[in-house]
Order: sequence, then structure tokens, then C-alpha cells
Amino acid sequence: MTSSETVPTPPEIPSAPASEAAGPSGTFTGFQASRYRRVLLLLSAMMVVASLLGFLVNGRDPQIRAPLQAGLDFRGGTSIQMELACHDPGPCTTSERLRLPVLRSVLADVQLEPAGDQQPAPALSSFNVQLLDDGEGILLRSTALTIAQAQAIEDHLATAESLPPFQREHTQVDTIGPSLGAQLLRSALRALGVAFLGVAVYIAFRFSPLNAALALGALVHDVVIVAGLFAWLGQVWDVQVGSLFAVALLTLAGYSVNDTVVVFDRIRETDRLQPQLGVIARIDHSIAASLVRSLNTSITTELPILALAVFSGGELRWFAVALAFGIAVGTYSSLFVAPLLLGLLKKDTA
Amino acid sequence: MVRQGWLPVILAMVLAAAVLLGNQSLQLGLDLRGGHQLSARVLSPEPQVVLTAADLDGVKSVIQRRIDGLGLAQTRIQTVGSDRVVVQLPTVQPTPGEDAEAEATVDDTLQQAANQITKKAVLQFGVLRSSEVDRYTTLVQERRNAQVAVLLGEQQLEQLQRSRGDGEQRRAVRETLGASRTTLDQLEQDIGQLFDLRPLTGDDLVQAVAEPNLESQGEYYQLSLTFSAAGGQAFADLTKEVAADANLRLAILLDGHAISEPTVGPEFRENGITGGGARITGTFTLEEARELEVQLRGGSLPYETEIVEQRSVGATLGSDNVRRSLSAALVGLALVSGLMVLIYRLPGLVAVAALAIYALFNLAIYALVPVVLTLPGIAGLILSFGMAVDANVLIFERIREELRSGRKLYQAVETGFSRAFSSILDGSVTTLISCLALGYLGSGLVRGFAITLGIGVSLSLFTSLVCSRTLLKTSLFLYPALRRLKYFQPVQ
Repeated sequence: MTSSETVPTPPEIPSAPASEAAGPSGTFTGFQASRYRRVLLLLSAMMVVASLLGFLVNGRDPQIRAPLQAGLDFRGGTSIQMELACHDPGPCTTSERLRLPVLRSVLADVQLEPAGDQQPAPALSSFNVQLLDDGEGILLRSTALTIAQAQAIEDHLATAESLPPFQREHTQVDTIGPSLGAQLLRSALRALGVAFLGVAVYIAFRFSPLNAALALGALVHDVVIVAGLFAWLGQVWDVQVGSLFAVALLTLAGYSVNDTVVVFDRIRETDRLQPQLGVIARIDHSIAASLVRSLNTSITTELPILALAVFSGGELRWFAVALAFGIAVGTYSSLFVAPLLLGLLKKDTA
Repeated sequence: MVRQGWLPVILAMVLAAAVLLGNQSLQLGLDLRGGHQLSARVLSPEPQVVLTAADLDGVKSVIQRRIDGLGLAQTRIQTVGSDRVVVQLPTVQPTPGEDAEAEATVDDTLQQAANQITKKAVLQFGVLRSSEVDRYTTLVQERRNAQVAVLLGEQQLEQLQRSRGDGEQRRAVRETLGASRTTLDQLEQDIGQLFDLRPLTGDDLVQAVAEPNLESQGEYYQLSLTFSAAGGQAFADLTKEVAADANLRLAILLDGHAISEPTVGPEFRENGITGGGARITGTFTLEEARELEVQLRGGSLPYETEIVEQRSVGATLGSDNVRRSLSAALVGLALVSGLMVLIYRLPGLVAVAALAIYALFNLAIYALVPVVLTLPGIAGLILSFGMAVDANVLIFERIREELRSGRKLYQAVETGFSRAFSSILDGSVTTLISCLALGYLGSGLVRGFAITLGIGVSLSLFTSLVCSRTLLKTSLFLYPALRRLKYFQPVQ
């Protein structure tokens, strides 16, 4: 059986010949990732720069003033989502669909009771109104409303004569107080920090501090690029990030490190079994050996996530998008960024 | 050498899981069954005072009694974190034809529940200070004016709304009404200040009942209170003290607001009002009286609370979410299965069987623990399908490598499993660390996801290492026809 891929010599059979692909001079003749090191690392650097640019653009945007556009969960506020009766099973005819000017004029007529002595009702002109599904639904976002205020708006829209009938059992109302929002943001950031630290400690324990630093570096690389994508999505499509986005990043953290660890594990094994190869060749060999597995695993993980993206809506769909993109980036960084940097650094220290 | 010992264990577990799922239904979260969720934050009286778990439990049990008092079915009340109580109220699925009516009752329920959660309902009794008699008379007059102003404002507003009158005018009336309400509220508190409190509170009640006030021809409602023995004695003492002076009054205070200040007739000078009962009259509507009844029966809240979160999901939106996430799960499962068989052939088929067992065990654990399934929770489950086959992919790739290096089939399978073990373990542990961080520090939605993903990753260790291995080896052992290389890798 001839194959360009190499096989580690099994330890149980010390007399077995060294793999064909490993040349006598300590080179490795399979797919050599190190040859493309410059291009691959440059690609990563460019994606990171693009992401940082996205944070900067958002930070300078007077509407956002943060690297990412914080959603309801983190900022506090109310969102009211309603669907037209014709949406289910749909689709609505053109005349039935909602139009923004009509909607705004209906909303201008709503009057809200103040929440208390010191809290006047928010002005309806400050509401963010979005049409969903080509005008078959509506999403209102505002500062936090009281139950009575949110119900007044819902009732007003549902009974307005100039609007088509809504399906009220499909209404979703969410209110997060500003104090709870700040608390959720804190706990999400803390969870991210603790997870990163925990993973780093585990890898430092199982491998070496250098491996831990690189796995963490690859992880930060992935998280920054996914956050960068959402920074730009926030700029272009007003996509907001909430608790679910933090969950996506954390899952990604687990996944990306998992993937990196598998490659590191392979490098460790190659180090042990084929010490005759040079550092770079051993790493190239391990990358090539992990390639098929990593791609297959990514695809099997991406498939259910894509199903989730297709079948779900709203926030959950963006969650699936973040995961799908993140897993692609994570697979790339586990195969190419972390091991190639490991090769560079190991050679320097050797 | 074949670890057949596991086979009966696996079969028994599959059977047990299936029986369990047949008898116990899964618990669905708010976003999957529809309903309302209110989170209240319990505020400590002073910033430096930290609430203990017992304090929080105290608040929870009062809220529990009060929400139960509303007579709603299937409510769920839990404490979350160090300072929150979460109340879930499912919506009743409306039957077609009475949609509008059902929706109206649901809306009322939400506001009623919110009132029960935030109203402290501290009932106190006091005696008017004799030095404040004149001031009391003045304030009562002002209060009467404010009451009239509020009543007029409400009527005006109702009229304007019915005639769909001009917006500017409505806004003006609404503002005046708001101001009158604030004045009235302040006056009720000011009047309360004129009274000295006596040692009799809502804690001394054994019963509170809302009933029509006969003197008002049923227009207003009143509350009949029944005191405990000690409370009855305190009330007798109190009324005796008030009866001694015709100028004095007794006040019933609710959260510092005077709601009723009766005099006590001279006939009670000797013994006070005995019998352990009292009535609170006033201008209560039926709803107000009922609300107060539930609050007094449930007891007063020991701390101030504020509502920090409200989530409402329409009833059919919930079932829609179930349908969509089920479709996503099934399609995801089917795609992964198809791919595994395509790439890995016989072992792929075994991995699919292991994946089916994995899905079954997951659901069984959800029913057993029980795990409340939410939308992010299902997302975690779907994601873990991919991760569950990851272990199999690692193993099968390893088996192929061993075959390529010329090993015998049986040996290759055995080595593949043992060689892949360390990567699988490392990978699972790193994911579990993330899950632990999420589950421990995260809130509601996040925790749901962390729990399902964490259960999934742990289970996949078992299904991929034990189930796949046993199934693969058993099938090779029982069916020699399967022992052919072409079932394991593409023919070259």
C-alpha cells in the first residue's frame, strides 16, 4: 500500500521500517504546511486586523460606542415581537404586509402611563422599529418598559384599525432591567475569563506552558475574529449580541481548544515515535496526519449547526451563524496557526 | 478478548432509558411551552447588608403562597443566584373561538402576579397622636379633594379614549391624573405619619377574606380579618385605648399608607373590641380587595423587591419553537448519520447506532434529573451530536491508519480505540471546563445550554468509547462476513 501520508511507527513493533515518507535526512515529504506558513499566518493577521477595525468603527459610532452592539440582555430594555395573523402559514399578500410609515403613525398615537413618580414614560419616537420577514412581523426595541406599558403598546397595535390583524399567541415580549443587564454582562465576561483560564491550566498541566500559551493564543484568535464578524454585522445589519452570543463564544472556546489539543497530542506522539525528523518536519507530519480527521469532525459538527440555522429564527439563528463561522475559523487555527507557531518558537528555543 | 460483557449492559440501559422516557415526560421551559416569566430582585435594606440564602428563601415562600393564592395552575417559583426569585406562569392554551377572552385573562394574570411579587403588604395598626388631631382633619380634607380629582381624571380619560378624542387633550388629562395620583399617594403616607404604631401587624392574622361591604350596597368591598389569640388581645387593647377619647382614631396602615382610620364607639371603653376580628372598609373595588386578601394571607414580604426581567412567549409560539427545534435536531442527526456512513462505511454505521443510543440516553437523563429543556438547551444538544461523532471520527481515522500500515483488521480496531483515547479525553475535558464555567456563572438561558452540552459531552465519552467499540467488535465477532477491508476503507 503506497500512500503519501505517513504513519507513526507503532511502538509495539520496534523493528518495523520507518515510514516511507520520512526521508533519511529527517525531512517529511507529505503535505508540508510549513511551506505555506507565511501565507497562512498573513491570512490570520489580516482577519484579526479586519476584526479590530470593526471594533474601532463600532466604538466611534455615536449610536453604539462599544466594540460590539450590545443586545437587550446586556444593556437592559424591552423588545416586543409580533407576527401578523397571515404569517402562519403565510405568505401574506402585498397589501397585508406592514409598512413602516403606517406603523410609525399608529405608534405615535400610543400613550404610556409613567412608570412611577420619578420615571416618565419613554417617548415613542425613541423606539427602534424593525420589520421582520418582509413586513409579516414587527420588532420594537426600547428602553425597559413596565408590564403595563408593554401591554398598552401590544394592545394598541393589535387593535389598530389601520393595521392588519396580528396573531397574538405568537407575541413575544422581553424586558430586562438595566441593573440585570449589567449583571448579565459581568457574569458572561467572567464566565469567558474563567473558562479561558481553566483550559489554559489544563493544557499547561497535560502538555507544557508553551502549548498552553499557543492554544490560548489560537483561541483568542478565533474569538476575536468571530466577534469581529459580528462587529461588522452590527454595523451593516444592526445585529446585536446577547447572552447567546457569549454562549457561542464559550462553546467555541471549548471546541477550538479541543481541536488544538488533538493536533498537539499528535505532535507529542510524533516527537516520541519519530525523533529522527526535524522539529518542523515532525509538526508538518502531525498536521498532515490530523488533517482528514479535523476536516471530517468539523463537517460533522457543522451539519447539525447548519440545520439549526435553517430551522430556527431570530437570535438563535445568529447563534448558529456565530458557531458555524467560529468552528470553521477554529479548525483553521488549530491546524495551521497554533502548530506553525509552535514550530517557529520551538526552533528558536532549540 | 471481545469485551462482550458490555453488550448486555448496553442493551439493559437502552431498555431502561426507553421505559423511562415512555413513563416520564420531559419538562419544557418557558420558551417551548409559552407563558410568562417574571424575575424579581430582592433588595437588601442597606447596601452593606448581604442577603443570605435563608432570607431569599423567606421571600420565595411568601411569593409562592401569594402566587398560589391567585389560583393559577402549574406555576414554578425558584430562587436564582444570590438575590433573585423567578416566577413562571404558563399560559393556558386558548381554545379556538374564545381567543380574545383567553388572552384578556392572561394579560390580567401577569399584572396581578407582578403586584403580588412587588407589594410588601406590611399591615400595621396605629393610634392617632392627640397633638395631631387638627392636622389630621386638614389632611383628610385634602385627601378627599385628591380622591375626587383622581376619580374625575379617570372618568375624563375613559370618555376621551372611548370617543378616540384628540391626542393632545388626552395627554394633558393623563398628566393631570398622574399628578393627582402622586398627591394622593403622598397624602396617604402623611396621614400614616400622624399615628403611633402599636404591637399588632399582619403577622398576627390567621385569616383575611374579601367580601362585599353591605353598607355601600355592594359598590365597595371590605376585608374581614381574623386575629390569632395574641393578636385579638392586642386589638382589644388598642380599641380600648382609642375608645377612651372621642377625638382619637385607630389607623390601619398598609406599607405606610393610611387606608382606613375608624373611630371606636364609647361602648368599647370597658373591654375594647373583643372577639378577635376586624374589618377594613374603604373604597376597595373587588379586584383591589382580592389582591389585598391574597397579599395578607401570603404574609408580608420581608424585603423590598423590584421586577428586573419579564419574558412573555405566546402559547402557540412555544409549540412552534418545539416543532422547529425538533426538525433541526432530526435533520442534523440525519445529515451526520449519512455523512458518517458515507465516509466510514461499516464503522460509520456502528457510529450511527451509537449516536442513536446517545440521543436516547440524553433524553432519558433530561427526564431523570430533570432538566428543563429550553431553546438554547436544544441547541446545546444538537451541537453535541457533532461532538459525539467527533470521538468516532478520531477512532476510525486511527483504525484506517493502522490498516494502511499493514495491521490485521482486529488489531487495527483495537489499537485505533486505544490510541485515540488520550485525544478524546483531552478534548472532552476542555469542553467540560467551558460548560462548568458557563453553568456556574451563567444565567437562565446560558445555564440551560451548558447543562445539555455538558451532559452530552460526558455521555459521548461512554457511547463512543464503550458502545461503538462493543457494537463494532460484536458485529465482527458474530458475522465473519463483515471482516473485509472494503467495509472499512475505500478500495484503492
